[in-house]
Amino acid sequence: MKRVILAWLPAVAFLAFWQLASGRLVRTIYVSQPSDIAVRLYELFASGEIWPQLATTGQELVLGYLIGVTAGLVGGYALGRAPRLARVAEPYVMAFYGIPKIALAPLFIIWFGIGIWSKIALAAIMVFFLVFYNVYAGVRGVDRDLVALARVMGADERQLGRHVYLPASAPFVLLGMRMAIPYAVIGVIVGEFTSATKGLGLFIHYSSDTYDPAGVFAGIAILLAFVVLAGSVAARIERRLLRWRPPLAGQTELT
Amino acid sequence: MPFDVDAAAPLSFKSIEHRFGGTEVLRSISFDIPDQKFVAVLGPSGCGKSTLLQMAAGLLRPSGGTVLQDGRPIEGVNRRIGIVPQQAQLLPWKTLLENVAFPLVLRGVKRAEWLRRAEEAIAAVDLQGFEGHYPYQLSGGMQKRGSIARTLVYGPRLILMDEPFGALDAQTRMQLQHDLQALVMRAGASVLLVTHDVAEAVMLADRVVVLSRRPAQVVADVAIPLARPRNVFEPHTVPGFAEAYESVWQHVRGEMSRR
Repeated sequence: MKRVILAWLPAVAFLAFWQLASGRLVRTIYVSQPSDIAVRLYELFASGEIWPQLATTGQELVLGYLIGVTAGLVGGYALGRAPRLARVAEPYVMAFYGIPKIALAPLFIIWFGIGIWSKIALAAIMVFFLVFYNVYAGVRGVDRDLVALARVMGADERQLGRHVYLPASAPFVLLGMRMAIPYAVIGVIVGEFTSATKGLGLFIHYSSDTYDPAGVFAGIAILLAFVVLAGSVAARIERRLLRWRPPLAGQTELT
Repeated sequence: MPFDVDAAAPLSFKSIEHRFGGTEVLRSISFDIPDQKFVAVLGPSGCGKSTLLQMAAGLLRPSGGTVLQDGRPIEGVNRRIGIVPQQAQLLPWKTLLENVAFPLVLRGVKRAEWLRRAEEAIAAVDLQGFEGHYPYQLSGGMQKRGSIARTLVYGPRLILMDEPFGALDAQTRMQLQHDLQALVMRAGASVLLVTHDVAEAVMLADRVVVLSRRPAQVVADVAIPLARPRNVFEPHTVPGFAEAYESVWQHVRGEMSRR
């Protein structure tokens, strides 16, 4: 109980300060007010106005994330197991990695249109690189002696993958998948900012254009809630799958 | 000829030469492991003892000479041996039971059977009750026992050991040496043990092959004619131990003074 209070204290203090400062220290038109935002959120959900936006954004997020993770897993694993191919491919992947993905948004709009697929592509490419690098590093880092020993004990290549490479790189894979969640959100929202007919990003953008800070913050609050929730689910899955790892000293519950 | 090589022995090293880059590591090394015998290779750290094991495991090809198993040269990864590595090297993501059963699972043994055989092997190394533990939940000695069980479980005729007890405390080491002696006698396997511990080599082996500093050559091949089982805990009570120790030690000492 004490821990719960301690954990929520900074958040409550921050909201209280915001509520009091708004209109006194800073003009409300700039920062809105927690109470206004709460009312706005209630209206949005009660009127049903927000649901179609959420449905669109949610669809883009899920598809973009899944495509990005799948491609990252397959690419990272394949390159990790094929060092020769990796030597050729790595500089190119590096170069592509260096491109600010956000700069691709206008291009993706041209390629995939203003519907959901341009946002899915943007989210997927952001997720891809993160997962790709984690999986690649994980597979490359597998203990060579362990691999040799497994071979002597009778493992063929397929068995090595299943019993050694995959579990050994699982901590990296899962970390990459967890870190990729907020990146998927960035990809989708930036895509929607750029050009869209529906979605939470469009809603935030529209609220800003109409000088409605409560609307902007309401949109951000929904995104925040989603990222925190998804992150904690991912952390839980991670702990469950990695229960073979010794608990680290000072390991935190942070997602 | 003291270094004569028996062609049909479980394992024979025939005039092995090896260099890493420009460094000569092994020079014309020949000896063999006779059937159901325990041979220890004794040498200073970094002399290339472990390199010999890697060759026997088919993980490394010698620059010259051949390694024969049952009279046939070893080609590629050798799956007809068991290895007890320096570190226990259990797979961290598998429980003790899954680790011990691993070689059987790899060979496509049915679940009911691998379960039975793994339980047996775990019992043989006194680890009952820890089947569901992950390696990090086991002590160093227990991990080592698990590693030995994982090797015994599929009954290899030839077992390679790379300083298996180096990282353990003195008491655990003695207990494991005692158990290993009993397990190997029961299994009837041939063993090649690499160590830098003279007492360990003399206590466990039927023959001790003494290697020189780099480039390693065979300095002596000493028979240890002590009766088994030997009392590992009290070497001074083993008849003939002092003489056997001295017969090995004189060669090691000779090597040391040669620096």
